[in-house]
Amino acid sequence: MSMTQHAEPAVTTPPASGPNKTDGRTSERPLALRLLARPEVGVFLGAAAVYVFFLIAAPPVRDGSSMSTILYQSSTIGIMALPVALLMIGGEFDLSSGVAVLTSALTASMLSYQLTMNVWVGVIAALVVSLAVGFFNGWMVVKTGLPSFLVTLGTFLILQGANLAVTKLVTTNVATDDISDMAGFDQAKKIFASSFDIGGVQVKITVFYWLVFAAIATWVLLRTKYGNWIFAVGGNKDSSRAVGVPVTFTKISLFMLVGLGAWFVGMHQLFTFNTVQSGEGVGQELIYIAAAVIGGCLLTGGYGSAIGPVFGAFMFGMVNQGIVFAGWNPDWFKAFLGVMLLGAVLINLWVRQSATRR
Amino acid sequence: MDRISGFRSRRFAPAVALAAAAALTLAGCSSSSGGKKAEESEGGASAGKATTPRMTVALVTHQSPGDTFWDIVRKGAEAAAAKDNIKLIYSADPNAGNQANLVQNAIDQKVDGIAITLAKPDALKDVVSKAKAANIPVVGLNSGVSEWKKLGLMEFFGQDETVAGEALGNRLNAAGAKNAVCVVQEQGNIGLTQRCDGVEKTFSGKLQTLFVNGTDMPSVKSTITAKLKQDSSIDQIVTLGAPFAMTAAQSVSEAGSKAKIATFDLNKQLTSAIDQGTIEFAVDQQPYLQGYLAIDSLWLYKNNGNYMGGGEQPVLTGPAFVDKTNVDAVASFAAKGTR
Amino acid sequence: MTTTNGTGTHGAVLPESDAAPATDAPIVELRGAGKSYGNIRALHGVDLQVHPGRVTCVLGDNGAGKSTLIKIISGLHQHTEGDFLVDGTPVRFSTPREALDKGIATVYQDLAVVPLMPVWRNFFLGSEMTRGPWPVRRLDIERMKKTADEELRNMGIVLDDLEQPIGTLSGGQRQCVAIARAVYFGARVLILDEPTAALGVKQSGVVLKYIAAARDRGLGVIFITHNPHHAYMVGDHFSVLRLGTMELSADRSEVSLDELTNHMAGGTELAALKHELAQVRGVDVEELPEEKDLTAPVATTGEGKS
Repeated sequence: MSMTQHAEPAVTTPPASGPNKTDGRTSERPLALRLLARPEVGVFLGAAAVYVFFLIAAPPVRDGSSMSTILYQSSTIGIMALPVALLMIGGEFDLSSGVAVLTSALTASMLSYQLTMNVWVGVIAALVVSLAVGFFNGWMVVKTGLPSFLVTLGTFLILQGANLAVTKLVTTNVATDDISDMAGFDQAKKIFASSFDIGGVQVKITVFYWLVFAAIATWVLLRTKYGNWIFAVGGNKDSSRAVGVPVTFTKISLFMLVGLGAWFVGMHQLFTFNTVQSGEGVGQELIYIAAAVIGGCLLTGGYGSAIGPVFGAFMFGMVNQGIVFAGWNPDWFKAFLGVMLLGAVLINLWVRQSATRR
Repeated sequence: MDRISGFRSRRFAPAVALAAAAALTLAGCSSSSGGKKAEESEGGASAGKATTPRMTVALVTHQSPGDTFWDIVRKGAEAAAAKDNIKLIYSADPNAGNQANLVQNAIDQKVDGIAITLAKPDALKDVVSKAKAANIPVVGLNSGVSEWKKLGLMEFFGQDETVAGEALGNRLNAAGAKNAVCVVQEQGNIGLTQRCDGVEKTFSGKLQTLFVNGTDMPSVKSTITAKLKQDSSIDQIVTLGAPFAMTAAQSVSEAGSKAKIATFDLNKQLTSAIDQGTIEFAVDQQPYLQGYLAIDSLWLYKNNGNYMGGGEQPVLTGPAFVDKTNVDAVASFAAKGTR
Repeated sequence: MTTTNGTGTHGAVLPESDAAPATDAPIVELRGAGKSYGNIRALHGVDLQVHPGRVTCVLGDNGAGKSTLIKIISGLHQHTEGDFLVDGTPVRFSTPREALDKGIATVYQDLAVVPLMPVWRNFFLGSEMTRGPWPVRRLDIERMKKTADEELRNMGIVLDDLEQPIGTLSGGQRQCVAIARAVYFGARVLILDEPTAALGVKQSGVVLKYIAAARDRGLGVIFITHNPHHAYMVGDHFSVLRLGTMELSADRSEVSLDELTNHMAGGTELAALKHELAQVRGVDVEELPEEKDLTAPVATTGEGKS
């Protein structure tokens, strides 16, 4: 019967299909091309291009300690970009992530100072608050079914206002008091904000955390059940629910991971600068999201990697500091930044398209 | 099922952690140093209260949320209001159009006087004339030293940013600086630009400008570090806000630079940094005075018809230098957040 | 073996299936079941039996209550009248998970898979294989890929790259992967929600083939469709829903395709049906040998009514 010949060639007749190895629909693509189709490869090439560019244009970049500075800035963006990327793969946004960092730092600082307690009490309280904010975001999104854009925009405004108002209420200023002479500060500073000497170059501890977190996130994403669920809930929430993926748990926990990241970066800021300005952090959420998107995460969810945002954050830090190292006219700073980022994104896009083209 | 129970326990995690925190407190986990307990109890700054009839004054600024500086202005205004039996309505918006709306709002409330900042004078022209038409006296403060008369404001309290910059430049010359960098935390802000321009006018060495992202402190820090590494001959950093001076100090030690730091504006941490010598000096424009005088002047006008500065000249509240020689006198006030 | 020959092949396959005569008791049974949403009665007095190794077709036009019926059986909604029995015991599912645990798996038309995920990840989604102790418990990727490949081959689906996103497969293939998945995870009853609705004729043929394959493995299949031709190719029992009630419930021996088409269409819907069938015929004309068998009764009915 003619059907068998014309039927979808991918499918052969049921039991008699042993020797038929391929479906003949796709020819085996070269390894290099398959590699290029990975979400993080485009951004890797983009980041490498930016790096080489500044290596040539800005001689100070060649210095090891300069690279340490660049990596430091990248790490403070990158640590947050990781959970934000996972959340984005899971199909949601968090616009409150920038101010949530400040909420965490303010909580720890004010609680310790006002109650004159060991700073670790504040650190733990800040963790609780950060996770609670994440839980609230996730719970609202899952329970109401509203777009996370709206829910977290609300949280963003609430936190922004609360950061200011509570700080003002508690300290009567808009910045917190210096906690550097309090018990436990030095210990906490060692953990959250110290630096290491590597071959004569001082490297900030956040750089290590950043890379370790990225490695863990990659492993979780690609090699665990939970990672599988993240892709699934972002790719198709209803299918996932229908086959038994705990969608509610996955989404809420992703929001709480962002809270965890905000807590960590918040602690770093607090123990680096000793005080916190309550109005900061606004606008940072977009940089985190940008790092994730440059890193190959799809805005619509279901696709991306944890390594990509690492390069995305690095590209941000590199361009940001590279312009200063190159000594270019600072009036053009933002314009340069924009051009470089757009260029990097275009390289990324071009690579992905040429890799997936058949 | 275990997934669900795992989830549940997460839900209760906050409560558990709070309980743990409480337990820690009970266990004597209090800090033996620093903290609120170490802070000296503040003495009440308010003097007696005027017996003049209650009046309402609006203070409308271009403050962006969470700026330490404006907090001090507001405290000054509140002190004057408390003393003069004035009900103070404070509102602020960095967006000029929104600020104009807030002024209109004050006019609609039929206040007895309005104090405004003129960061973007053109946007406020219309509402100022509306206020005048409604017979509400308007005074200016902080920004707009060159525009206040054109707009027809009664009086002005503030610092001429260019003059302040020039004064700082002169002082750098005296200290022998050769290569300075001016750190601007908000690109396109007129007042900040005028400060840098003022410094450039009088400073005999080389002056570069560095733009940083003021809302992201780690970024500010690494950008200044990068600049110091890029040009190791920099021997002077000028920051345009107190928190940025503190961050610059960290950058200097990180980059292994010998650069000294001077800054505009003051805060609590800065006074101790000046005392310790980390920061060389600060140019204070006395924001408390700006807020205080603006409100007080409206009271004086209403009750005695006085004009400060005669209505012709601005009342300059700065530049007042704070350095190692006079920081002790300033420190206790800065600690209270009023200087 | 092809199922596209319709009755012929079907008749040949049925006796081979050893599961059918052995277990005569229905796995799933509805007795006078119904569902009201507030004061709207979506479904009323429905009797349905699903036997292992048999395909029960549920036909009906849009809004006839087909989706409500599936939702009750798959655990998304609960019935408000009558009885719902699994293995002779009355049940009331509150989540799809409970239905799954009883071996009732549903393959939805649109939401069968996560398009951007690789085939093997989709195959095991929600029931992943893992190895290692907890902190480092990880996916057993090798085993999952191997198993997925084997299972798909057993169902007669051969893919050269299980890493390709399932979204790159054709609609029919995706349905087939979902069916293979349900079979592998121990489904005893397979609910297929309009699996052929969005597919072309060839693709539909492929899916029908796997419905037969699933039946031959001893599964009870509930095949929801509004296409009597597709239903008649694989069905053992036919239930036609109309406006929320059962209009026809007949075994294959009791009803002809002609009758089924009539029941399915009934009265005013006929014009639309005629149009639909004309389209089917238009596509299939060259390929379907039984073209005459199919078109003749339809044509007369169409003329008679219009």
